[in-house]
Formats: sequence, C-alpha cells, structure tokens
Amino acid sequence: MTISPAITSPERRPLRLAGLLPWLFAVLVVGYAMVVGGYAATVVSFALIYAVFVTGLNLFMGFAAQVSFGQNAFAAIGGYLSAVLTATYGWSPLPAMALGIAAAVLTAAIVGYPALRLKGHYLAMGTLAIGLITYEITVEWQSVTQGYMGISGIPPFGIGPYEITSDRGQLVLLSLVVAASLFAAARIRRSRFGRALSAVAGSEEAAVALGIDVARYKLAAFLLSAGFAALAGSLFVHVVGFVSPEVFGLHMVIVTFTMLYVGGIGTVVGPLVGALIVSLLPETFRAFKDYQDLAYGAALILLLIYAPRGLASLFSPRGRS
Amino acid sequence: MADWSYIPQVLVSGLGIGCVYGLIGIGFCVIYNASGIVNFAQGAFVMLGGMITHMLFARNGVPLPLAAVIAIAAVALLGVAIERVVVRPLWNRKATMFVMILATLAAQIVIERLTLIAVGDQPKTLPVFTDRPPLMIGGVAIGFQLIWIVGGSIAIVGLLAAFFSLTKTGKAMRACSINREAAALQGIPVSRMLALAFALSAALGAFAGILITPTQYTAFNVGVPFAISGFIAAIVGGFGRPFGAFLGGLLLGLLQALAIVGFGAGLKNVAALSVLLLFLFIRPSGILGAAK
Amino acid sequence: MSRLRLEGVTRRFGGLVAVDNVSFEVPAEGVTAIIGPNGAGKTTLFNLIAGALPPSAGRILFEGADITGRPPAGIAAAGLVRTFQLVKLFEDLSVLDNVKVGCHLQGKAGLFGALLRFASAREEEAAVDVRARELLAFAGLSAFADEPAFGLPYGRQRMLELARAMAAGPRLILLDEPAAGLNTEESAALARVIRRIAEEGTSVLLIEHDMTLVMNTADRVVVVDFGRKIAEGTPTEVRANPAVIAAYLGTGKSATGAAVTASDHQETARG
Repeated sequence: MTISPAITSPERRPLRLAGLLPWLFAVLVVGYAMVVGGYAATVVSFALIYAVFVTGLNLFMGFAAQVSFGQNAFAAIGGYLSAVLTATYGWSPLPAMALGIAAAVLTAAIVGYPALRLKGHYLAMGTLAIGLITYEITVEWQSVTQGYMGISGIPPFGIGPYEITSDRGQLVLLSLVVAASLFAAARIRRSRFGRALSAVAGSEEAAVALGIDVARYKLAAFLLSAGFAALAGSLFVHVVGFVSPEVFGLHMVIVTFTMLYVGGIGTVVGPLVGALIVSLLPETFRAFKDYQDLAYGAALILLLIYAPRGLASLFSPRGRS
Repeated sequence: MADWSYIPQVLVSGLGIGCVYGLIGIGFCVIYNASGIVNFAQGAFVMLGGMITHMLFARNGVPLPLAAVIAIAAVALLGVAIERVVVRPLWNRKATMFVMILATLAAQIVIERLTLIAVGDQPKTLPVFTDRPPLMIGGVAIGFQLIWIVGGSIAIVGLLAAFFSLTKTGKAMRACSINREAAALQGIPVSRMLALAFALSAALGAFAGILITPTQYTAFNVGVPFAISGFIAAIVGGFGRPFGAFLGGLLLGLLQALAIVGFGAGLKNVAALSVLLLFLFIRPSGILGAAK
Repeated sequence: MSRLRLEGVTRRFGGLVAVDNVSFEVPAEGVTAIIGPNGAGKTTLFNLIAGALPPSAGRILFEGADITGRPPAGIAAAGLVRTFQLVKLFEDLSVLDNVKVGCHLQGKAGLFGALLRFASAREEEAAVDVRARELLAFAGLSAFADEPAFGLPYGRQRMLELARAMAAGPRLILLDEPAAGLNTEESAALARVIRRIAEEGTSVLLIEHDMTLVMNTADRVVVVDFGRKIAEGTPTEVRANPAVIAAYLGTGKSATGAAVTASDHQETARG
C-alpha cells in the first residue's frame, strides 16, 4: 500500500503523525489477512471491494457534498454485465469489466443529467428510485439475470491461462486496486478539479461567481462515483464467482453509508478504514446474518447523532459540523 | 398477452391499493408540514400495522377490531419514540436534510430487522373483515375488503380534514406548517407538535397497513416499497398537500394496476418508480403544485 | 471605451419595479461606487450585472460585448467577478486553497490532469501556487495560508474573499458592501487595498453604505433611490446634489442624512 505524502495535506506538523494512524491500521489489517489467509483473507477481500465502492461514494458525497442513495445501481450494472458477459457469453473478465464500467458511466450520464438538477429530498428519493428500479430489473429480467437464483460460475480474474484463484492472490489484486483508487482520490483532492469540487461543496453561489461550471462538476463527480461503483460490482462477481440481486440491494446502500460515516466522510483514507471496521466488527462478534443490518442501522444512527464527521473526526480539530 | 377485458376489474383493485398509497402519502405530508422532514421510516409503520394486528389476532386470539386498535396505538407510540430517539437529537443539532433522511432510513432498517428476528421471514396475513362473496356490479367483482379499504380511507381522510379545520390542535399544526417561527411566537408548542405529527403519521400508516394486509400479506420487508409508493403519491399530489397526496395515491394505484395488465405483476414497482422519476424530472411540483 | 455599460436596465418582481431603467457607465480606470438608501435596489442591480438575475429589460455590455442573460459562470469567465455582501468562503478549505479555487479560470487541468499529473498540469499547479501566495501577501494574509478559512477573524475573511476574487483575474470586480461589519481600522486598510487594485488596472465597482469608505476610494459615484438613478458624478458633486440630499433626508429611510455612516452601517453589519 502506497502512502503518498500528498495525502497528509497541508495540515500542521503535529497532525501528520496522527494522520498516518488510519493508514497504519489499514496496512496492519490487510497484512494480517495476507499472512493468515483463509477466512480472514475472504473477509478482508470483501472489505477492500467495499472500499472501492465507498471511495467513489466519497468523491460524490464527501468531496462535492452531493447526495445519492442509488449508487448501488451502478455497482449492479457493472457486476451483472461482468457476470453475464463472462458466465453466459464466455468473455474474459477484463473486457467484461471494462464494458460494465463504461455502461454504468453512460447510464449515470443519462440519469444524472436530469437528476442532479433536483434538490433536497427530491434528489434523495430520485436517486433511491434509480437504485430500486435497477434492483427490480435484476430480479425480474430472468432470461438474462436468472432472477433470485442468481448467476454462478463466473470466472476469476486472470491473464491468459493464469487465473487468480487463491485467497492471497485475490487479496493482493484487491489491495492494488484499492491503493490505486485511494491514490486517485488523493490526487483529485489536491488538484484544480478537486478544488472545484470542494468549492461546489462549500458554496455553489461563490463557486459560480469564480467561473466554476457547477452543474458540470457535479455531473463529473457523479460519473466518477458511478465508475468506482461499477468497478466494485465487477470485482465482487469475479472474486465471489456468483451474483444475485440481493448483493446490490438496499442493504448495500445502508452498509456503504455506515462505512463512509465510520471512516470519515470527505477524507481520502476514510472509505478504506470505514470499510475495514464495518466489515470486521460483525465478524469478531460472529453475529448471525440477521443481526448485521440491525447493527449497521443502529450504528449509523448513533454515528449521525454523536460523530457526524466519522470516527476520524473525533481525532481531528474540527468536523464540518 | 395482455387481456384488456379485465380493465374495469383491474381499475377497481387499483382504486383499493391507491387509497392505501394515499394514506401513506398523507403520513409523509403530516410530518413534512410540521417539520420540513421527510421521514423515510414511514414504511415501517405500514408493515407494523399489519404485523402487530396479525400477531395479536392469530397468535393471541385478540378479536380483530381490538387487535387493530391496539396495533394502531402501539405504532403511534413507536412514531413518537422515533421522533424522540432519532429525529429530535438531530433536529436539535440542526443536522442537514440529508443526514435526517439517512437516519430515518436507518431507523427503517433497524425496525425491519427487529421484526425479522421477532417473527421470521414468512409472510403473514389477516382474514378479510367481512367474509362474504364479492358484489357483482356490471360484471365487475367488488370484494368486501375493497369496500372496507375505500370506505375506511375516505372516513379517515374526512376525520383528518375535520381535525385540521375544527380542533385547536389541528389548527395549531396547520399554523406550524405555514410558519414555524410565527407559530412558536403565538405560543404553540412547536416541539410537541412534531411528536404529535409523528404519532399521527404513524397511526395513519398502521391503519393503511391493516386495511391492505387481508388482500395481500405483510412481511418484515414490505415497508420500503409501500413507503416509496406513498412518497410518489405525495410527489404527484404536490408535496406537503395531504389531500393532494390522497389523490396522487389513487392515480398511482390506477396506473400501477394498468401497468400490471400491460407488463405483468413483476414490473409494478418499476412502473411506479418510473412515474416518480418522470414527475421528479418533468414536474416536481406535482399535479396541484407543491405547498408553499 | 467604458468597461461596463448599462442601457436602460430594468428588473420587476411581480408589480414591484426594483430597478427602473438604469443607465450608467463604469470607466476602465478607477473606482466607481453605487450608493443609495436601504432598499434602493443596489443589490438587485449587482445581481443583474453579475448574471444572478436576468433583467426584465435593457442591455448590459462588458467591454463592448453584450452579456445580458449570460449565466453567472460565463460572466465570471468573461472577466467580471463579484464578491458577496455576506462572506461566502469555502470554509473547509485552507486560506491558500480558497485563493487557489479563485485561480480556477486561469487554469485548464481537468480530471486526467489531476490523475496523471502531466508536465503541463504540474506547471499550471506551480504557477497557481505562486500566484495564490502573491495574492495572500497582497491581502496581508500570508501568515494564515495553511489555516482553515473558517478560523479567520471576520475582517480577514473579507480580505480573503477579495483576494480570492482577484485570483480569478477580473478586469472588473464587483464588491458588495465590502466594509460591512468592519471596524474603522479594518475599513481603512480595505480602502487602501481597493485603491491599489484600481491602480493596478482592474476597474472596481462597489456598493457601499460606509460613506467614509466611498469618499476615500471612489472616483465616481452613482446614486440610486427607488430603483432609479438620481445622480452621478464625483463624490464632491454628488454630496452637493439636492436630489441626493433629499433622498437621504426626505425619505426617512436613513435619518442621519448624507453622513449615513455609523448607524446605517451597523444595521447592515447585523443584517
């Protein structure tokens, strides 16, 4: 995992060390899973896939301060296209994944153009509807998606005859993808593009007055976010080898929001830390699956009330309030 | 494949489900008007209305009318609890609209999962209130449950209208929806109104859930689709207008019934959600224009 | 050629005429001030010029080009940049980054520039850094460069907003009550900065209640009342104009007359 000096931003010296702690935590967890392998590697692999999704969510919601409850739709598009193209039509994973991402970004452009003009609860409900429509389609379009049964026999990633099938191999691959995602997020944050997103988040009126095309940047962030979601969806199906509608349902929305808030919305490393913590906690408690969403929901409410800028904000001088 | 001779029959059943959507839509408006909050946990009230009635009636042998009343009261209390535990702390902290939506959505999930743990994932139903063969009018069968649904809904809407225009509390709630600060200056306890709005809205949802359960079923996860439909009803009617929401519900019910004939039952939610997107993108103020 | 030219600009809100057939010119050199009692339509006029509101009638020409009805971001790109009556900083960004956002129009780098850091993007970023630090020095904010913007005292927030607007490289800058809420000392410092901006070639158009600031900085004054232009000229001419005196004394909107400094100014600071 690369630790780019650019990420610890222009904050003051004493904070630099504290800023490294989340990275250290992430490296330790992934390293532990790498050494132990087996079940731990599987759990951490899932967490890393979520981290990719949440990184995208964070670009849109944390960096640009917009709202979408429907990013799971783009994960579903990426995941299902990958699944159908490889399992049904015999494509190899990489081109299937590329097409899945392209299709998700294209869909995001088509729905984002009208949707992003909405404000407040209209935007929230509109995006939620986009996610639910996609879910219903994955359930109902049985000739392609096989409905609730799902699609199995999806091949793992690989180049030519070499397939990445071992737990550790997948963990390495996913770690690289996550590192690249966070690296991209860090570079975006400290660029003209990223500053324009922050300006949109801070005050649309002031951003416009400085010549920033607010609608364009919102859409760009939305497309980026959809791209990351589709990437995560595709990674999931190739790592697990199976996909069903439930994977990208409302459950995913709640879990990923919990991750975003646990890790700290608007920070670069937050999505990774949040994804790891939220994935590991239920495992350590070995709770039944039924209790998981319950725990996520309750944790999310508590976080929103008591630590609205994420657990990380408890250590930083100021949350966004 | 579509057999259009069923249309009148289909429209009649669309009317029934439309009333239910309308009641849920009114529930959204009541809370929104009192607070500016859109409560995404609205579906939980609908689900619990049917579920608690079922548990009391089928498991504990409580007579159906009494079970229904207890369920409505219990759900109203739950509404107040959500207001106190989830909404109030965020409200005091002046949380953003988005955080409020997310928190109520999380509350919805929590209630759903608790229900799943308590009663399992099997669908539950209730007997129809009047067990007699349907009335036949011009070749269209009208079941007694449908009469209960339409009659009950209209009665509730009438009672609500009377409450808002005749009683002191109802007038105070309306004053809050017009201008909260002015209402506070007039000595109206705005914070108590918020709790009351949640109670009222929850009771409405529970009532809707009890009416519809005999014709369908209830399960831990029926809440969200109902809430979405209710929200669509509220949008179509012009958000914040309770009676517009009822009208919107009827329209949505009819439209969805037609969609089932046209495209099959599986896509009825897709049809409803598409109506939502269409309205959001083209006429977000609804057919009557949004309140305020 | 004048920098900005208004021709019969009118804005109605329903039956109310907030800006009524106003015409004037802002020369390329110096500072022009718009003054008038509260509610005279000054801020509406500003919103019309900056494109935040479309005029109901009339034309607005910037450097000879018709900018009427252009979107605000397009007007900013043309070289006409505004500040706000209530400071609108990007509170979560550092002071330096606020000014860097101001440099947005000076750059071209997009998403791929951000991700791949081409040589051109790196050069651009370095130039932005230099320019932003220059502007901070100009506004006396160098010491706060890495502080978050929300932590600045109010007077410095105003200066930062000014520096940020200047970063956009405007040829005309619109300042909406820049002295509102400032104390005498800060106001005097602001006046010096405004003069320097004008001397370095950016025309300044400002709305102000603080007459001291207007008299110290403005080369020309346009007086509006009830949405109409009632006078224009040098500060001395305007002060002697009977119509102006009547507007300030006669309407009762501002009881202290032409010396509308202290009390009026306090009001806006709170508003």
